[in-house]
Amino acid sequence: MKKEFSVVGKPIIREDGFDKITGRAKFADDYKFDGMLHAVMLRIPETHAKINSINYSEVENDQAVNSIITFADIPGAKKVGMIKNDQPIFCDEVIVTPGDVLAMLVGEDVARLRLALSKIKVKYTPLQTLTDPRKSLEPDAILIHPELGSNLIIHHPLRKGNIEKGFAESDHILEQTYTTQLIEHAYIEPEAVIAIPLGQNGIKIIGSIQNPFSARRIIAAVVNLPLDKVQVIQAQLGGSFGGKDDTMCILSARAAVAAIKVNRPVKIRYTREESILESYKRHPYILNYKVGFKNNGKIKAMKIDILADGGAYCSMSPFVTWRSVVQATGPYEIENVHTDVRAVYTNNPYTGAMRGFGSPQPIFANESLMDEIALQLGIDPVEVRKINGLKAGSITATGQKLQNHDVNLLTVLDTAAKETDFQNKWKKYKKDKSIIQKYDFTKPVFNDSQFIEPDQLIKKGIGLAASYRGCSLGAEGIDAAACYLSIQNDGSVYLLSGLAENGQGLRTTFSIIVAEELGITTDNIFYLETDTSRVPDSGPTVASRATLMGGGAVKNAAEILRGRLEELIRAEWKLKNSDEIIFHDNKILTTDNRQLTTYKDLCKLATNRGVNLATIGWYKSPNVDWNEHTGQGDAYFTYVYGCQVAEVSVNLGTGEVYLDKITAVHDPGTVINKLGAEGQIYGGVTQGAGYGILEEATTENGLIRELNFDQYLILTAKDIGEIKPIFVEGKEIYGPWGAKSLGEPTLELTAAAISNAVSNALGKRFFSLPLNLEEVLLGKKLRPVEVKRGSLQ
Amino acid sequence: MIPSIEILIPKNLNEVLGILSNQDKNFKIIAGGTDVVTGLKQESNRFINTEVLVDINRIAEVKGIEKRNGKISIGAASTFTEIYTNPIVSSELPILKKAVATIGSLQIRNRATIAGNFVNNAPCADTVTALLVYNATIEIESTNSKREISLQEFLQGPYKTQLKKDEIVTRINIPVPPKTFVGDFYKLGRRQAVAISRITFAVLMELNGNKINEIKIAAGAVTPIGTRFPELEKYAAGKEANNDFIKSLASKLGEEIIKLTGLRWSSEYKLPVVQQMFYQMLKRITKK
Repeated sequence: MKKEFSVVGKPIIREDGFDKITGRAKFADDYKFDGMLHAVMLRIPETHAKINSINYSEVENDQAVNSIITFADIPGAKKVGMIKNDQPIFCDEVIVTPGDVLAMLVGEDVARLRLALSKIKVKYTPLQTLTDPRKSLEPDAILIHPELGSNLIIHHPLRKGNIEKGFAESDHILEQTYTTQLIEHAYIEPEAVIAIPLGQNGIKIIGSIQNPFSARRIIAAVVNLPLDKVQVIQAQLGGSFGGKDDTMCILSARAAVAAIKVNRPVKIRYTREESILESYKRHPYILNYKVGFKNNGKIKAMKIDILADGGAYCSMSPFVTWRSVVQATGPYEIENVHTDVRAVYTNNPYTGAMRGFGSPQPIFANESLMDEIALQLGIDPVEVRKINGLKAGSITATGQKLQNHDVNLLTVLDTAAKETDFQNKWKKYKKDKSIIQKYDFTKPVFNDSQFIEPDQLIKKGIGLAASYRGCSLGAEGIDAAACYLSIQNDGSVYLLSGLAENGQGLRTTFSIIVAEELGITTDNIFYLETDTSRVPDSGPTVASRATLMGGGAVKNAAEILRGRLEELIRAEWKLKNSDEIIFHDNKILTTDNRQLTTYKDLCKLATNRGVNLATIGWYKSPNVDWNEHTGQGDAYFTYVYGCQVAEVSVNLGTGEVYLDKITAVHDPGTVINKLGAEGQIYGGVTQGAGYGILEEATTENGLIRELNFDQYLILTAKDIGEIKPIFVEGKEIYGPWGAKSLGEPTLELTAAAISNAVSNALGKRFFSLPLNLEEVLLGKKLRPVEVKRGSLQ
Repeated sequence: MIPSIEILIPKNLNEVLGILSNQDKNFKIIAGGTDVVTGLKQESNRFINTEVLVDINRIAEVKGIEKRNGKISIGAASTFTEIYTNPIVSSELPILKKAVATIGSLQIRNRATIAGNFVNNAPCADTVTALLVYNATIEIESTNSKREISLQEFLQGPYKTQLKKDEIVTRINIPVPPKTFVGDFYKLGRRQAVAISRITFAVLMELNGNKINEIKIAAGAVTPIGTRFPELEKYAAGKEANNDFIKSLASKLGEEIIKLTGLRWSSEYKLPVVQQMFYQMLKRITKK
């Protein structure tokens, strides 16, 4: 019997909402300390260069410069990384991408420090650059990190069945190449961090840090201190989306090196330009898909070759591309699969974690391909997905049998199709051939036949995309989380998770879990400041794992304390072990609705009886396994399923895509906070739509052209129509009451659904994201010749 | 980053003119600051040598919108929100109102001013095409001169105008267009708000039945600066506004733009769009 929830699943306003909208919330840059200094970065306007010498003589006696911080000041690790230690804190011999930092100046006044920067004389020799990832593995390619002997960051192969046999048994074979673009996280708050030296007690860091424990590990290695001497506190975070990980670890380490040297607090605060220049981005992918299928729509074989541009540093590339190799076929059961995913070094800005994490790229490819199969066979997009879709007991591309949870792919697909009247609209809007005219640039002046009659200018289209997504880290690594919970004698509660609030609403979600378990309301719970010295390392807050793993730990902690309270009640009111005790509405009741006491009085009693009302909760994921040579194994312990439908209008005259409505149907397991879950969908869909039609960071020899938001454009509220969230809450044995993941699935589908909708409207397929004005109208991207902004003239 | 800078806050126009007459310093007039502040921050060459900012927000002579002697006079420091919400503009200058509505965001429109839009003379200035088809003239003052010239004359080249160091634009005057004139404004950006225009154009015309008595055409962003097309206007005057003619007029606009601008990296996209959307606009206007 399904238990009725009191708080879970209800719309609860986020606990930090009031502080944020009234400006009271304290972000990293809002912190100031007596004697605090600032640090500014020394860079050179090059992409790849050998540093011959750096002459500081003109700033050594500069009153504005308190200290020059270089490579030589680093007490510990000179190079760091999330997976591979290939990224220098300060570059002493060579820079390999434009964001690289040579040294820092520390002083009281940022303006004067920046002036001093220009007086430092750096002698360097520009080196040949490598910016095309397709050339990275050529035998004569320059090596970005010569000591590694190769530009290959990682290669993930996956072999299932017999690919030749699969193609031989197919009636049709289709092969296509897709490309996706480099994009920026575009968090509203640029990076900021303060390092405070504590003498014998080490160092304290306050920053806009996504993963305080990762930062602690990197800082400790760089300043050569044990972990307990590095205290990392997370300030309120102004957005992250996976982007405040590596960059913030390195900035924190730089600030720590400086603070220890000058023995004063040191702040680093990036401008937007520096943020976009140095921080990592989403990987651009080149994806080649070959698919063989039968006349009845059944896919027999899929051969996939993916190349990811990792940029100058390894960062999270091995994990990002690992998720790609697991999920590259899409949510379909295919007998014969042969996948190779490679990430390579180039001199481009480095790429790492970003919401979606290696899934939006292959989804764009495989979901475009599914529509092409449907068109070729004369069936509709829902039908082709139903024929091949994963069901309970299906075997995935990695050889994993889907079990122990509701495999809800077909349910979300049907729900989305029914909700939008998909099949009827799709047939109505479908075009048999392209209705976008071909423009001959040698004849730019229109002839009469090129004008479109006004009633023919706007065409409607509908498209969908579906996915399955492995929850949490999977075979990436150890997956466990902790939580500290302490009930006070008046019943109020301290709560702190080892996972971090990155704006996703985790504190509210966790408070709801405690409130539900103890039969109280969330306003009784005070969520403590995230601090690495107060709670066990719980791994990073990534992979949409907070509700599932962190929530699991919170529920565990709440159950432990409730258990102790129940034990006390049984003793005090002489109840049998089999008697159920109900914690509801701040009251303690028996099943026959007899009130024993109030929650408050019970907490007082427990304190007086010496009951321990504080604990650490723990949640560890079940085992997963992976064979890195064959790409086979139980990659993730459970999965979520989603389907999004995009309804668009396309302007045939301008190539504009108007997003009329996005219907997002997701199975995140049990919804803990309805408001928070809907918020995830609104945000994820908007970000995914921007990825689909607008966002792109373009580079000129490795240097990003769009260094601020006047040029790097993201969607505004006026660019997106209605977003309709629908939850299908599948049963799940893991997580708090079966709650799983939602954050990333909401983003990964939108671009593919939009592209399919535009194709439906125009009778023309698109192979390159984003579907911006030029892509839709001309079938290609246009790039400015000049990097410089017109307004800077 | 913004260097430390002196800011003067004069109380009336005479004080402003007095300040500007001092030729020893580099002044920059600031009203809304939506160009000046970002320009300073980006260390733009047009702003980098600024020593003193002259804040004109308290100068009554450059504020207010009024109708007198058949003209609508708009204070140079009127914000776009003031213009957008003004009843005279709403009833007499609908093309300007439409252009104003496409600028930036509400926050930007609350600060940015109309003279700032064209004194900066960026090719993408949103209101210029609307002002050009309305035959706007501008009043310019210094301590020893006062002149009124047409906006087209004032605009000299990308980011260049006739404004001298000691001068300030005080008012924009627009002859009230006869009620027989109809028109429209079009802007294309990469998104629906806070977008720099990639294409703008405006049309104001008088139709007699289906015959074009008179037409005024201006385009921006596709040309080095916002500009009128006199040849095109002459060609169209007296013609029957049928489908074939409208098509030929739209093609001719394409030709004229190529003449003015040449072919650029963006022309491959902008040329087909400007012709297509100009045709759409003319169809819309002539159908009414």
